[in-house]
Amino acid sequence: MDNEVYSFALKNTLNEIQNICPDIKNSFMFKEDGEIIAQDENTPEKVVVHVIDSFDGILEKADAIGGIEGVTLDSSKGRVTISCMNDIYLVTVTSKKADMNYVNTVTHVLIPTILRLLDKINSTPLKNKTPSLKIETETPVTEELEEQTETPVEKDSTEEPEETLETETLPSELPVNQLIIENLGGLLTRARAPSDTVRIDSEMLSQWKEFSGSTRIDQVEVETFNGKTTRCKVKPIKDSKYEGKGIIRMPEKIQLNLEVRKGELVRVKPLVY
Amino acid sequence: MARKKEPIQEIAAMTEPLTIEESHINNLRANLEEIKTYDGVIGYIVRNSTSAAIDLKDPTKLIDYAVLSSSALDASEALSEDFNLGDVKSIIVTGKNVKVLSLTVSDNRISVFMDKEANYEKVLRKLHGA
Repeated sequence: MDNEVYSFALKNTLNEIQNICPDIKNSFMFKEDGEIIAQDENTPEKVVVHVIDSFDGILEKADAIGGIEGVTLDSSKGRVTISCMNDIYLVTVTSKKADMNYVNTVTHVLIPTILRLLDKINSTPLKNKTPSLKIETETPVTEELEEQTETPVEKDSTEEPEETLETETLPSELPVNQLIIENLGGLLTRARAPSDTVRIDSEMLSQWKEFSGSTRIDQVEVETFNGKTTRCKVKPIKDSKYEGKGIIRMPEKIQLNLEVRKGELVRVKPLVY
Repeated sequence: MARKKEPIQEIAAMTEPLTIEESHINNLRANLEEIKTYDGVIGYIVRNSTSAAIDLKDPTKLIDYAVLSSSALDASEALSEDFNLGDVKSIIVTGKNVKVLSLTVSDNRISVFMDKEANYEKVLRKLHGA
């Protein structure tokens, strides 16, 4: 399951919650780094971005009170509630007449349940998938990699190609992986994230090191399916949510250079000197 | 996106004859002093266009609390405007240790800091009764 599916599932959840709680006028979810995860149909993205921007001022000084657990704004025509759930912030806007006990019961039960469910669905196939890299090999070197996989290669042949980590062998005998682009740097961190560095699974970096016999993999070559290539620095993915998913986290600048965007596939190979 | 820290002003000396407005401020200050004695309340910040008063049990957190207070009140106005919610009554920021109740009463921007489990409604009632 990629992030778009995850987001789609959460968006549907938010819409369904509004169906059972009509007093919820707006709802959306975002991460601490400002990345919007899901929003209902009623809330324009412009408003969401502005709210996150406003909330950022509070977050910046939240260490003083031990971090944010929630924010409740009471106004003459309604109420805004921001709740922190599994490092995700849920914003709900309710009318003045809303039964907050009911709203809170629904949101505080349903959303964490859905998040846990999605994480479970998300992680189960991926954990099986990670060790079973599909390796198309013509050289004895890649046979070693194939031996390292825990499950037979054929088992993955029916999976969707986008979710398969595919390794090819170049004449240089270095593996090429097809990875799905994920944005690196949310709304608030975009300015701070190194614009010349991509992040990929640490396990993949380890495999590359082992494969190439190199002690460090500092750079990779990224190639799009339109033939555009670029070389950039590489570091392991920090956020465990992205690990083992065949994802390359890429800053916006590199995406623009390559004329690609989130969700697209690129070929990535290590540069070994 | 970092907000500019607003300067914290010193308490203005009350040398002018009492007006209705000053009487109101004094009343508010008296209420805040009483609120400070409530269970779990750890301090307050009150500011208006001419003066500010800060009373915190832990003065080392003064700057952080002042900026948080200001950010919370600014955010409350922005959020209310974004969703067309009318006049802001109050905003409560709940942290893992401390809760902050912020509101504006007659141009006075007030934040009361309290333990997470403290009764904010009692504080709110007292302030609205100011």
